[in-house]
Amino acid sequence: MHKLLSSPVLRVEMIQGVCPSSLLRFCRRYGREGRQAAWRGRYLQLSPCRCYSIVPPAQDSAEKDMLDRMLRVDHAGEYGANRIYAGQMAVLGRTETGPIIQKMWDQEKAHLKVFNELMADNRVRPTILMPLWNLAGFALGAGSALLGKEGAMACTVAVEESISEHYNSQIRTLMEEDPDKYKELLQLIKKFRDEEMEHHDTGLEHDAELAPAYSLMKNIIQVGCKAAIYMSERI
Amino acid sequence: MAALLRALRIGQALRGLRAAQRSQCDEVKRTFQTAAVLRRVADDPKQEQVPPYSSSFHQNYQSMHPESESSRPNTSYADQHGEQAEDYETEEQLQIRMLTAALEFVPKHGWSVEAIAEGAQMLGLSPAAAGMFSNGAGDLIQHFVAQCNSNLSENLAEQHKLVQLGQTEPKKTDEFLRDAVEARLRMLIPYIEIWPQAMSILLLPHNIPESLKHLSTLVDDIWYYAGDRSTDLNWYTRRAALTGIYNTTELVMVQDSSPDFEETWKFLENRVSDVMNMANTAKQVQSTGEAVVQGIIGAAITLKNLTGINQRR
Repeated sequence: MHKLLSSPVLRVEMIQGVCPSSLLRFCRRYGREGRQAAWRGRYLQLSPCRCYSIVPPAQDSAEKDMLDRMLRVDHAGEYGANRIYAGQMAVLGRTETGPIIQKMWDQEKAHLKVFNELMADNRVRPTILMPLWNLAGFALGAGSALLGKEGAMACTVAVEESISEHYNSQIRTLMEEDPDKYKELLQLIKKFRDEEMEHHDTGLEHDAELAPAYSLMKNIIQVGCKAAIYMSERI
Repeated sequence: MAALLRALRIGQALRGLRAAQRSQCDEVKRTFQTAAVLRRVADDPKQEQVPPYSSSFHQNYQSMHPESESSRPNTSYADQHGEQAEDYETEEQLQIRMLTAALEFVPKHGWSVEAIAEGAQMLGLSPAAAGMFSNGAGDLIQHFVAQCNSNLSENLAEQHKLVQLGQTEPKKTDEFLRDAVEARLRMLIPYIEIWPQAMSILLLPHNIPESLKHLSTLVDDIWYYAGDRSTDLNWYTRRAALTGIYNTTELVMVQDSSPDFEETWKFLENRVSDVMNMANTAKQVQSTGEAVVQGIIGAAITLKNLTGINQRR
């Protein structure tokens, strides 16, 4: 089979009837095997190899839709969280809470980097609301930080709780679909969810609940997060 | 034979009147067209027998249509009817074969059901098999567009692989875009005389969603292989720019009469360099803006120092 496919031009007719994950070519860039093909409507879409196969190639367009949506909303979420911490640092960067926020911000930056790579590899369309999340995230972070350290921590608690809930529902969806197929993706999302929970607990430790109008602020932010998640999945 | 067809037509016309729904009227129109086509083509001396799988055309196409997006590659081991024949092909593949065969007859018959019927005949099927396509000419054109796009995608993937293996130098962005769009537009050259007809058919409301999807796939592919890995608003602006370039160049091409479409390629070069200039200008504006902002902050701090506001007491 591999001899057949060793010609540089892979014709659609040859590939029909072959499971996409068995299309192996040596990828020089990362020194490992991996080439993927996915169905784009009626025709096979060839893409160069991906650096690590965290996300399995989609078998049909319904699955591709689902994976696209998940990656898009996760990417938007991490980008928003990034901007929230940037806003908080802009106000509280030089105070004693600066290092704590900086540490959480660095972890979010690492998350964002992973999602950027996944988006690029899987050719997922980013949400068109990115500039909006840019502004809104920064404004939320700066605004909550202006209420003091407790305000910033309360905002962190609210956002991280929303994000953890969202990751949990994604984990549930993937587990329902096929835990084995999505093993690496599940591992990744679980790892990120655990780190977000850590941020949530850090926020609580640092007197988030002492913030002015804590429960009101928390509810408003969580409603906003839910709306953001809903919109980013679709638009 | 003619009487039977007339009776069929009357019966279907009555059904159309009773239902009075748009889809029904479309069905009736298509029935008329198909019946006319079938009569014309069947007047040929060749008498074909009805193939086993050209059953009721609408049910087949409609049931196929949602599947077409999710149909798996055909292995000889499983299909929905449970037949195990080695050379059994899905409806999907048969349609692809028919439409590909029909492309030969397009220069003669235009983008129409006649071309599909001729294509079906060439494959040894009855011209009635053309009735499988409830959208007729639209289906043919969409198939052609999808085929061209996937050819382009294969070529780009091959080039990309050569670059990754270090066998060729990577091209600069504007050169890459120019070459990709030129390669794609050259696929239209055999049909360039009748391409305006195809463009107008693609602009019909029921064809627009699918043609937009093909266009966005094309543009996404070209940018991906040009090296675009952006995940912010740039993703959208770049694709919008390339869509504009592609559409305008296509329009220029259909009315270009210069040898080997030189004017079109020159037009394309100018548009691509326009877009590149705009991108560079945007970058320059952004860096200037940042420098200005930093300058203002510096000036503000200096002022605060001078007036003594900055000192901590």
